[in-house]
Amino acid sequence: MDNDINFKDLWAKQKVAEPDKEELLLKMEAFKKENIRKIIFSNILLVATSAFIIFIWVYYQPAMLTTKIGIVLIVLAMAIYMFANNKNKPVFNITTTEISNKEYLEALLAIKKKQQFMQTTILNSYFVLLSLGIALYMYEYASKMSIAWALAVYGLTVLWILFNWFYFRPKQIKKQQHKLNEIISKFERLNQQIAGNQ
Amino acid sequence: MNFDHIYSTYWQKIFRLCMGYVNDFDLAKDLTQDTFVIVWQQLPHFRNESAIGTWIFRIASNNCLRQIEKQNRTQKVKLPTHLQEDNSESMESHIQFLYQCISELPEIERIIISLELEDVKQAEIAQIVGLSEGNVRVKIHRIKEKLAQKLKEIWTTI
Repeated sequence: MDNDINFKDLWAKQKVAEPDKEELLLKMEAFKKENIRKIIFSNILLVATSAFIIFIWVYYQPAMLTTKIGIVLIVLAMAIYMFANNKNKPVFNITTTEISNKEYLEALLAIKKKQQFMQTTILNSYFVLLSLGIALYMYEYASKMSIAWALAVYGLTVLWILFNWFYFRPKQIKKQQHKLNEIISKFERLNQQIAGNQ
Repeated sequence: MNFDHIYSTYWQKIFRLCMGYVNDFDLAKDLTQDTFVIVWQQLPHFRNESAIGTWIFRIASNNCLRQIEKQNRTQKVKLPTHLQEDNSESMESHIQFLYQCISELPEIERIIISLELEDVKQAEIAQIVGLSEGNVRVKIHRIKEKLAQKLKEIWTTI
């Protein structure tokens, strides 16, 4: 089969200057730093907000239980959201070195499908917890206002929550799902290339 | 197993595998680097269950497959037409045609043929891809036929 010899010959002629190993080490360093920075950055918001809320708790000493429950719910909502966000990425690489392409694609597909479910669930519980938390938290302060003010404040808050729930949340879910669906269908196509041959 | 040794033994091989997969010089270089970053990180966990080559090729091919998740940066490199005229560079263009043809195959076939051309044993290819050995043999045969036909068509028009 002389085609074979030609192929291998031609194939091996593709050469590129091997980059210095230093370059690789630098890239690894940059990669590590970038990852750490991302994690720190995405958590700063959570930590700062939580610290602020806890500061209010300690400083103003809320009297009612509703306020405290509200605070806990708000922090919980943010914690869940951040935790899910942080967890999304580095899970991979670790277990993927000993498995074949077929198993790898199956694993990726399973992870993506799980992500698809998780994203929606997490986003929903984030909004529910946050809304509930804010509503409870405000009760103590609103109860000290005149009725007109209390209604106005609650009205605005409810409006804002409804806007989030019916406009921002579906939009966000749609965006996330669209991206994931695209990836899932690509992985499914690749899987089919292997599975279709067995 | 020492990383320096692995690096110098496998860099070109992994680069060719990635190049066959994406046919984009810079992207192939990035993918090769990514592969060696993973190799570097995972080398202490390498358990000798498979040959080191099989292990590295598996990381590289999985990394290529993962590529699909990132942005669609894989535009195919168009061959400059003047190359086809010039005799002294015709060898160069033959190489480019081969890589271009391979990168136009379905993804799994790209990996299989690249490993075959890299002289990886068919049993190992089967292990890397996750197909049976018989399946791999049949696939290689078909892919080579496909490639030979494509290349002949192109070369006769030059």
